[in-house]
Amino acid sequence: MNRSLIVALREVRTYLQDKADLAFSLLLPIAIFALMYGAFGGQSRFHGTTHVVNEDQGGTYSTLFLERLGELENLDVELLSLPEADSKLERSDLLMVLYIPKNFSDKLASGELAELVFKQRGNGGQEGQIVASLVRGVAEGINQELQVYSQVSNTLAGRNIPQESIEITVQKFMDREREYPIVGVREETVGSSPDPVNQFLPGIVTMFVLFAITLTARAIVEERKKGTLERLLTTRLSVGQLFVGKFLANVSRGFVQTLILLVLAYMVFQLFTPLSFVESLVIALIFAAAASALGLVIASLVRTEDQATWVAVFFTMVMVMLSGTFFQISEGSVMYTISKASINTYANDAFKTIIAQGGSLADLGLELRVLAGVVVVGLVLSRILFRVMPGGR
Amino acid sequence: MPEAFLIAQNLHKSFNEHKAVNGVSFTINKGEIFGLLGPNGAGKTTTIRMLSTVLEPDRGDVTIGGYSIRHNAEAVRRLIGVCPQELALYADLPALDNLVFFGRMAGLSGKEAHAQAMAHLELMGLVERAKGKVSKFSGGMKRRVNLAIALMGHPQLLFLDEPTVGIDPQSRNNIYETIESLRDKGMTILYTTHYMEEADRLCDRVAIMDGGQLIVLDTPLELKRRIGPPEQVTLEDVFLRLTGRSLRD
Repeated sequence: MNRSLIVALREVRTYLQDKADLAFSLLLPIAIFALMYGAFGGQSRFHGTTHVVNEDQGGTYSTLFLERLGELENLDVELLSLPEADSKLERSDLLMVLYIPKNFSDKLASGELAELVFKQRGNGGQEGQIVASLVRGVAEGINQELQVYSQVSNTLAGRNIPQESIEITVQKFMDREREYPIVGVREETVGSSPDPVNQFLPGIVTMFVLFAITLTARAIVEERKKGTLERLLTTRLSVGQLFVGKFLANVSRGFVQTLILLVLAYMVFQLFTPLSFVESLVIALIFAAAASALGLVIASLVRTEDQATWVAVFFTMVMVMLSGTFFQISEGSVMYTISKASINTYANDAFKTIIAQGGSLADLGLELRVLAGVVVVGLVLSRILFRVMPGGR
Repeated sequence: MPEAFLIAQNLHKSFNEHKAVNGVSFTINKGEIFGLLGPNGAGKTTTIRMLSTVLEPDRGDVTIGGYSIRHNAEAVRRLIGVCPQELALYADLPALDNLVFFGRMAGLSGKEAHAQAMAHLELMGLVERAKGKVSKFSGGMKRRVNLAIALMGHPQLLFLDEPTVGIDPQSRNNIYETIESLRDKGMTILYTTHYMEEADRLCDRVAIMDGGQLIVLDTPLELKRRIGPPEQVTLEDVFLRLTGRSLRD
């Protein structure tokens, strides 16, 4: 068997035998995913809370209104007492509260004008404004129902039809109308949905893989510290084979961690089709290879574990910042040009093309060529720069 | 006429302005134990690093088994085994796995490496602990594993750089016996140590280095004879006479 492969297998075996290292490295992607889920999970659509003070306790229409609000999937209703709501508004704990005034139901029943009141701090906040428009929608629905009921009652007046019968019939009609509206609204998704998971997953994956640079950067230093580097180089193992072995081990490790992250994203967020999942794995593999090759360049230059860690962390942070992983960089700007110096940019673009834009590997010629180029250049450069010790081979 | 196995000719190595090795030449015969002695900083380790192809000499050359370290280092590496002064092994792996791994690096097949590893662990009295992690071993056991690794691939020339540092008399004795049995089987050994009685017991010939230069080379007996009756003089007396008593660290 090739000596590089034996080196890689030994490295992987050591990794698998260190229970703490193994647990941490496998739990890390799960923890990152949990954070991602906590931040974005289930929030691909708006979900808010309306805080309501109901001063019309037991009123027919206030009860109906609250029931209708409760039926909205993307809105929770939290009832507050008047002093509680005022206090929270005063302290800016809440930015908007809906007040249902006293006699709200009585006024509507007698055909008088009844008003709902929004009390808000400033503009009520972004969520408050959305909640207010949802509440208005419900209020308008009830308003229209009451108008229909009034019109029907007026039209049938004097025909000796019992009022109760009119109410039941109109209510049935309205219920059916709400269930099967004449004017329906249908959503059609064009391309993939622009939800936060789609937007941020590529960045999280690439950043995560890039952190593996630190591990690779330490790989040679650790051999040096153990004394095994010098010993290995007195055997038939060449420096090139040693580097390729380290490279393979670190690519495997980075890839397995990314695989866990992507599988979880697949299962929980249903981001992928089977094909796009496989394509994403291919990108993850090539990017892990590019990151490992760059890690080896650092490994070939540094002499201590501290140097390896700090150089790798600095490099990782610069790559992440330059690539616009978590913020948009406008096309044509200076930052856009600079971002091309970061391998993250290419990996991000590749993942976004697959995950967010529904593209395929065929659309990723430039990105894959750049990442593959980094692998080759990184491996060659690390070999050229490496010296077992000053004056050594 | 003894057959020369290692020929070092006019070796030079400098680090910046410091001349670590300055014109060292010697020959090691096939099947002999050659002691390379010297105070700290004498240039022994740099010399061994050049002989074992880790460092390239600034000037001069070495041939081992007829191969030049400059022109055919890979062939040289097939002939040598190195037991460094510091423990150079994977403490988180079992002893057997360490030996098998380095055996594979020495060009053995998996089966050969396993067979040799078991044989060397037996030789070192460690076969019972073959599957134990090295990190759990005592200092003496680790030293024996360190030496056993160097034997993987049956090298023709073994470099032993202070293999008995910091171990108990039992382990040291085991290592002495192992080295003597290797010599009896025809292995050539370059041995460095700071224990003069060790060199006196094991080495056929001894070279003493100081300040990057080889200052004397002879059998222990002849070296002792240079300063007095051999039965009344120790090799340490010779060493101190030649290298002085001033501290070097």
